[in-house]
Amino acid sequence: MSLIIAVPSKGRLKEDTIDLFSRAGLDIEAPADARSYQSRIAGRSDIEIAFLSASEIARELSTGGVHLGVTGEDLARETIRNTDSVVDILLPLGFGHADVVVAVPEAWIDVATMADLDDVAADYRARYGRRLRVATKYWQLTQHWFGQHGIGVYRIVESLGATEGAPAAGSADAIVDITSTGSTIRANNLKILDDGVILKSQANLISSKPARWNAENRSSADAILSKLSKCC
Amino acid sequence: MLDQLLSHLRDVAPDRAEIDVLQPADPFLETAGEALRRRIFLTESVEGQIHCLRPEFTIPICLHHLTQAGDANTPKRYAYGGTVFRQAREGAAEFLQTGLEDLGNGDLIAADSACLRDLVSALALAGIASPKIDLGDQNLFEVVVENLQLPVAIAQRLMRGFGSPQLIEDQIDRLTRGETDQTEEDAATSLARSGDRAALIDHIEQRMAQSNIAPQSGRSPAAIADRMIEKIQESQFRLSDTDAGILRAFLAIQSPLQQATEALEQFAKRTGIEFGAAGKAFQQRVTALQHVGVGLDMITYKASFGRGLEYYTGLLFEARVGATSIAGGGRYDRLCSLLGSKLPIPAVGFSISLDRLEDVR
Repeated sequence: MSLIIAVPSKGRLKEDTIDLFSRAGLDIEAPADARSYQSRIAGRSDIEIAFLSASEIARELSTGGVHLGVTGEDLARETIRNTDSVVDILLPLGFGHADVVVAVPEAWIDVATMADLDDVAADYRARYGRRLRVATKYWQLTQHWFGQHGIGVYRIVESLGATEGAPAAGSADAIVDITSTGSTIRANNLKILDDGVILKSQANLISSKPARWNAENRSSADAILSKLSKCC
Repeated sequence: MLDQLLSHLRDVAPDRAEIDVLQPADPFLETAGEALRRRIFLTESVEGQIHCLRPEFTIPICLHHLTQAGDANTPKRYAYGGTVFRQAREGAAEFLQTGLEDLGNGDLIAADSACLRDLVSALALAGIASPKIDLGDQNLFEVVVENLQLPVAIAQRLMRGFGSPQLIEDQIDRLTRGETDQTEEDAATSLARSGDRAALIDHIEQRMAQSNIAPQSGRSPAAIADRMIEKIQESQFRLSDTDAGILRAFLAIQSPLQQATEALEQFAKRTGIEFGAAGKAFQQRVTALQHVGVGLDMITYKASFGRGLEYYTGLLFEARVGATSIAGGGRYDRLCSLLGSKLPIPAVGFSISLDRLEDVR
């Protein structure tokens, strides 16, 4: 079985990945057919490239549908239960930087830390008749992080886009979202808590433990890793 | 075994509540919090309503009591039994439980002691004649905390940590070191420091208006201002070594229930803290337990024993065989209010884990 590498199928992540691979002497060929999502690396018949969306890459890594994949650590940790026992996060690639952060309205001048948020959440229902609501698409990361800080009494409101607008829209009180520079957060009059950085994420080369490995594709993977690690 | 125990419990708790396996998930998530989501089985109906496989019986029984049992103030005793479903990292996800909920009985002492009596007799029927029972009382800890006259938020934080010795010890440690987070000095902090509440509220209102956040959606400017002022006052607060010692000494109290009142009196004498009504109720409960025939020698009072969930009040207990917990329960007078009851409904109950019982038998 040849080595299958999943690569982001669109956007900056796709371009940066193709750039990096090409600097490493691995030229990802354009698919033969524009509608196809499969390709190869020039001169490497032992490798198949699969173009997938970044979150799909995380899922395929967890089920073993691909051997290696390029995707954000945030998506890997969000999508894959027991992340570290299912995949190996091999190599940070130096692009796709984004922090997963907890942010609250800037007008909450009394809230600077997770401990403050804990205090506020504790009697939220007694005061306002409902729980503190946190808008996010990162259910797992949020539950884990809030749990670590002893915060249990809050509700997650699922957000599939424009999470940072939720507090102004009145659909949530606080958010957990990704940000690369913090400017979107500030533009929405929110502030990141002092100890509210859940994860400093970037694109990573990740290998799947449940994938079907053999001596041949293992050595292809080692070669890829060593070439890429010299270039980032 | 389930049938046998359930029919025994129905003799002493004859009220019936049919509890469906499939339950609306919201009451569980609202009361126990988002953290519970990871531990229950959720499913969605075509209409988009979220349901779960019942993770326990207490909340559905309280809801039944509030909505279907007529006057919620009329005391009722419900026995229950069946399968509950919890996500576990490994092993089974279905567990057999049986237990009892006593709702609406305003005679707290009588209800508490009857509850323990019925637990002990059910365990005896299951072949556990002398379980070890740990007993705690949240009200006593509350008295100690109140006596120290701590800033409100600090007192509340300690109360939330009750039952988790590590959380409480961390707090005590931080408070005695006087370690406070450094608040950046800006317009808002100096307003808060000066104690000018009205000006601070104005300031927050302006910031909210700039942010397009409607002041009526969620936290009000006044609530934010009050907490900010509290926080500034707190940042100057340091817990004295004497008070830290009092908290630690109280939490360390552990005594056979027979001698517990004596141990509490000694603590009171040393520290000058009077337990008052809470202490009297504790003593009355011990006497009542004796009256209903519960062997006190199987019960140990542990001052630190409790649970952090916000709906527990007062009595808490857990029955063990060796290190295996086989049953637990307590008083949760705030649960019905959390579930929407206008009137406070006194509530006490227990649940027995039949799987754990099998393990130790």
